[in-house]
Amino acid sequence: MTNHWNDFKNADVFLIMGSNPASNHPVSFKWIQDAVERRGAKIICVDPRFTQSASRAHLYAPLRSGTDIAFLGGMIKYILEKQLYHLDYVLNYTNASFLVNPAFKLPGQNGGVFSGLKDGKYEKDTWTYQTGADGVIKKDKTLQDPNCVFQLLKKHYSRYTPELVSRITGTPKEKLIEVYKLYGSTGKPNKAGVELYAMGWTQHTVGVQNIRAMCIVQLLLGNMGIAGGGIAAMRGESNVQGSTDHGLLFHIWPGYLSVPTGALTTLALYNEKQTPKTKEKDSLNWWKNKPKYVASFLRSMYGKNMTLDESYNALPKIDDGANYSWLMIFDQMYKEKFTGFFAWGMNPACSGAHSNKVRQALGKLDWMVNVNLFDNETGSFWRGPGMDSAKIKTEVFMLPCASSVEKEGSIANSGRLQQWRYKAIPYYGDSKPDGDIMSEIFFKVRDLYAKQGGPNAAAITKLTWPYGKYIGKEFHYEPRKVAAEINGYFLEDKKMENPTKKGEFKEFKKGDLVPTFAWLQDDGSTSSGCWVYCGSVDKEKGILPMRRGQADPTGLGLYSEWAWCWPLNRRIIYNGASVDLSGKPWDPSRAVIKWDAKEEKWKGDVPDGVGNPGKGRPPFIMKPDGVASLFGPGLADGPFPEHYEPLECPVERNLLSPQKNNPAIKRFDKKGVGSDLDKYSGVASCDPRFPFICATYRVSEHWQTGVLTRWCPWLAEMQPGMFVEMSEELAKMRGIKTGDKCTVSSARGEVECTAIVTPRFKPFEIDGNTIHEVGIPWHFGWITTKDRTYNSGDKKAEVFTTGDSANLVTPTIGDANTMIPESKAFMVNVVKKGVK
Amino acid sequence: MSEKIKLYDASKCTACRGCQLACKQWNALKAGQTEHKGTYQNPPTLQPNTYMIIHFQDYVAPEGDVRWLFRKEACMHCTKAACVTVCPSGALYYNKEFKTVGMDREKCIGCKECVSACPFEVPRYDKETEKVYKCDMCETRITNNMNPACVKACPTGALKWLDKDEALKIAEGRVQQLGGDANVYGDKFVGGTHLMYVLKEKMDVYDGIKKDPKVPQSIFVWKNLLKPLSLLAAGGVIGAELIHYMIRGPHKPHPEHYEEAKKQGGA
Amino acid sequence: MKKQIVVVTSGYERFVHWLMAISCLLLCYTGLGMMYKELNFFGAIFGGLKGLKTVHDICAVFFAVGLLLAIQMWWKEAGVFVFPEDWEWIKAGGDYLWHVDHVPETGKYNPGQKMFFLTVALCGLLMICTGFFMWFPHYLPANLMDWVYVLHVLGFVVIFAFFFVHLYLGTIGNPGSVSAMFSGKMELPVLRMLHPKWVKEMEHEGKLMIVEDKK
Ligand code: HEM
Ligand code: SF4
Ligand code: SF4
Ligand code: SF4
Ligand code: SF4
Repeated sequence: MTNHWNDFKNADVFLIMGSNPASNHPVSFKWIQDAVERRGAKIICVDPRFTQSASRAHLYAPLRSGTDIAFLGGMIKYILEKQLYHLDYVLNYTNASFLVNPAFKLPGQNGGVFSGLKDGKYEKDTWTYQTGADGVIKKDKTLQDPNCVFQLLKKHYSRYTPELVSRITGTPKEKLIEVYKLYGSTGKPNKAGVELYAMGWTQHTVGVQNIRAMCIVQLLLGNMGIAGGGIAAMRGESNVQGSTDHGLLFHIWPGYLSVPTGALTTLALYNEKQTPKTKEKDSLNWWKNKPKYVASFLRSMYGKNMTLDESYNALPKIDDGANYSWLMIFDQMYKEKFTGFFAWGMNPACSGAHSNKVRQALGKLDWMVNVNLFDNETGSFWRGPGMDSAKIKTEVFMLPCASSVEKEGSIANSGRLQQWRYKAIPYYGDSKPDGDIMSEIFFKVRDLYAKQGGPNAAAITKLTWPYGKYIGKEFHYEPRKVAAEINGYFLEDKKMENPTKKGEFKEFKKGDLVPTFAWLQDDGSTSSGCWVYCGSVDKEKGILPMRRGQADPTGLGLYSEWAWCWPLNRRIIYNGASVDLSGKPWDPSRAVIKWDAKEEKWKGDVPDGVGNPGKGRPPFIMKPDGVASLFGPGLADGPFPEHYEPLECPVERNLLSPQKNNPAIKRFDKKGVGSDLDKYSGVASCDPRFPFICATYRVSEHWQTGVLTRWCPWLAEMQPGMFVEMSEELAKMRGIKTGDKCTVSSARGEVECTAIVTPRFKPFEIDGNTIHEVGIPWHFGWITTKDRTYNSGDKKAEVFTTGDSANLVTPTIGDANTMIPESKAFMVNVVKKGVK
Repeated sequence: MSEKIKLYDASKCTACRGCQLACKQWNALKAGQTEHKGTYQNPPTLQPNTYMIIHFQDYVAPEGDVRWLFRKEACMHCTKAACVTVCPSGALYYNKEFKTVGMDREKCIGCKECVSACPFEVPRYDKETEKVYKCDMCETRITNNMNPACVKACPTGALKWLDKDEALKIAEGRVQQLGGDANVYGDKFVGGTHLMYVLKEKMDVYDGIKKDPKVPQSIFVWKNLLKPLSLLAAGGVIGAELIHYMIRGPHKPHPEHYEEAKKQGGA
Repeated sequence: MKKQIVVVTSGYERFVHWLMAISCLLLCYTGLGMMYKELNFFGAIFGGLKGLKTVHDICAVFFAVGLLLAIQMWWKEAGVFVFPEDWEWIKAGGDYLWHVDHVPETGKYNPGQKMFFLTVALCGLLMICTGFFMWFPHYLPANLMDWVYVLHVLGFVVIFAFFFVHLYLGTIGNPGSVSAMFSGKMELPVLRMLHPKWVKEMEHEGKLMIVEDKK
């Protein structure tokens, strides 16, 4: 989230698209309702299905899964055409005026793809700007130059007419216009619109571009950085934000530092290649500090046990061009490229797209460690449906771990708010906190390396592990020490000039906490486990996420003394864009930051990016050129979002261009890429065996694969089993009635569901054809069902659930940038159980 | 402290069911094995172990657009509560402060009179314990200055625990704000209820809602006429007998009855 | 004066009578205890109100059995009015309300007793039926069920009042009759007063069993 949960109360228009917060982020509606009641805010909900969120919306528009870019492209066109954009904002805070390389080609002129496509990959040499002799980007502040970003944007989306968009999305044209008009109304400087998305936007082959399209909308309307604006990426777990910040993904180190590839053989080379540079004279280009954060991270790993260079060399690199994302891991596992696997707090046998493949892959391992609160479909995969345990060699170890209420620590929520949580009850039985388990394993492994050596042994033996202490023979991990290490220390005595105040010097002792990341150094004199969290632990005030101050002087709900928020306790990022060039808030009634001329400082939220008023510093300081990107050359699949059909889709062709699918996705169905199990339907043309679109989703009562919720009798009682929601029209066609048992099948597998026949799903009219969509929740799994086999000692659920995972039918195809699987648009068939 | 109302604003409810869960938790109610019957609504009805449920209802408006209606069903806490009137044991009673209808389950004798009397079909009898169960407005919480558990859990503000005057004002305000068919439910019958709804649609659109709930007439006949009559009649009879005894005296055999006996002689 | 004692009831008859009477009494007692909150303390001897209800439920079964047996046993003699004698008797007030020199003779049971019996039988059946549905309130539609309670209390009003009538007439109102339900015997004159025709019939048939002459 660029803003934060409470900030919803400042919005005028909500666009709920790609999410269902009423069901899945119920507390969000506290603030949404507040805005509706106090400000008369309006809620728009765009979703294939009439959801609980839709039930609270003032305006609902249906759209076919996987056509969001068409929908939003139409909105961009509408905003540009009706001049609803916030001109000053667009002109000064985005790259609208930048002149693009004349050789750059838009899909409209280039067969549906951008210039540079070669063998399913873009070469980006035309995705560049025109520069002057001084290297500075050429601009046209009149926005008239045909090669300026603004004109290109206009040209690109001129193809997205309401008529065409309606034919693609199935959204009635009047509804489109209604949505465009209402959301476009937030382009006025005194109006704020916010977009709420979740997995409904990400889990597509065009996932990142869905969000990019919305970024463009928000930038045009001047909604970024202001109170009640922004883009709300609502995380699906309480700590997804935190785990991503701390390097959960394979390609980033903590703090969004890219993981080095094999070609970057030295730290110096890495720094040179990875540190963005700019010639824009007013741009702060914050990432120029990257070497400081990398050095501090390396120090947090190895301290002074090794030099920075040695540390860099010790850490693993990614093979050039390799991808270790989820789909790849299980593909490689299935191909027997792994011997062992830790399933730590996760349940891939249910959560992984194409769970059948995942379950098969687990059987190719020698060993697997399942760390969880409960046995789950992953730990017991070898005795799941269709498995012959006699033929499975995998040895499974179950390590019971403590739940989040049985230990202390912090989580960082969607709003980047890091909150401390305290231990409420002792941990149960033999279970242990994850940190204790991890420490024990680490010490054993380190001892083995110390004794037996091995390749790159120093990477393990030289690690620092100052996270706890022994009580008796047991090592107890201490989260407070980790919090301090994440913040970072001075590793030597040092006297330094204040980086934000020239002429002021400060002295630090070895072991002092680093006050903020501005003080981090690239010479190895500081450590920081994750630079964005630097400043979260204070020498005097202690662990700031423990704060519970309730003051709200601005009345905007910033609550700056409640816990702590990265970066620097800033609650609304990009807030430098909430004021005009002279420093005046666009909307004084909702001023996130205000210049206090007397004290010569910004008041309100922690200012982001702005220099003193009138200094002309562009506020998007994380961008090398200081402005936000309408034209975004950083992505793998194009600088502007373009509509492509989902890989599995119900239409013969892409009505916008000859290019049907995202050209930059990794195709597992290509020879030599995937496996025998990676099967699809309706890729080249429609497949009558699987005529219906399907999307997976969640319900309020369950969480993820349900490992934590299916065992909770109260929750299982409310949602006791797998279901499929479908329209009355489809049900009639298939002879299905509400409550009937049905089979939902795809090219990859099938799952049994109870039918919910409802007018909340309606067939779509897509270019003259009637197309049906159904939806299934993905919380279920066989382990809590009644009729599976139970051995003595097996825990039985107090309230049984029915059905298995929805992911038995989802496809192994991912987004071009992230490889997140396309679980929100794929093709299935639905029949009454027993009907062939 | 004064009379209070739990206001349920259906126009704000997202059907997250935090309330339904909180109710189970606070009241330590066991979950039952349910079955998926093709609706989110589960358990399907109130039960001895379920004091409240959220109703889920698909509704296609006459205008043709689809709506999804939610409604919280629980004890309405009637001002004129039929259940209290009939309860022989004092298990059901009015909370003196808040005018809600509390329940002392210790006292319940499982006679089920409340089950029949309640115009909202709320109390549920449990065969196992031979007692009746219903929402008591979290008596233990409200008497300790806390919100009912369901109110506390509600994230959206759809449920609020308010002084009566304020609740009525807010409800009216919401109806004005929502316009259209919005209406308040609960203020116009059984002397006013202490669970009140703000409904967005016309009342009769909602499945299972009681359109004209009344304290059954029969209860009046029963409790106000026949009940006193039973003692009066008995008293009257005893009085009449006394008078009879004094005036007429006991009914003794007439001489003829003896004579005949003499005539007959021993057999 | 010498008194002749006559055997009037069999052991079985007395058993049925008491089965019904005691259960009815307990039903009244427990019913009252439930009906009036002020009388809830009636339950104390059964360990509380719940005990009271349990006793009510159990007695209900005994009462039902007793009543059915009683109806089967007494229907012929007490269930049907015989005209014109019964009518004559009623007109004469049965010698209860005002003095009559000659009471019209009736069968074994005079119309007063018949009325009492019929009332008990009908109200008893009503109590059984309504009580049964009160155990299972969901068998009937709710609005019908509402009236079941009313009928149950209505029956109680009548039964409770008649209980006192019965008590009075069976004891001090008719001295000497109460023994019929204890020892099964009665003084002949009393018997003759109450059941003149029956005595005659029995005499006629030679069935009158006089067991004892008392001085
Ligand atoms: C001579 C017979 C009976 C008398 C005098 C009697 C009397 C009463 C009275 C006074 C009440 C209380 C009503 C109130 O609360 O206002 C009552 C309740 C009740 N009676 Fe009876 N009753 C008789 C027979 C029966 C029978 C035969 C049954 C069952 C088959 C029965 C079942 C019930 C039930 C279920 C109640 C509801 C209250 C409770 O169970 O606590 N009763 N009765
Ligand atoms: S709703 Fe029913 S149970 Fe609740 S107070 Fe009213 S009559 Fe009693
Ligand atoms: S069942 Fe319990 S609560 Fe209901 S009327 Fe009888 S005693 Fe009262
Ligand atoms: S007031 Fe208490 S008992 Fe009643 S529904 Fe709410 S949580 Fe349940
Ligand atoms: S907790 Fe509130 S919003 Fe959620 S279902 Fe209950 S009343 Fe509705």
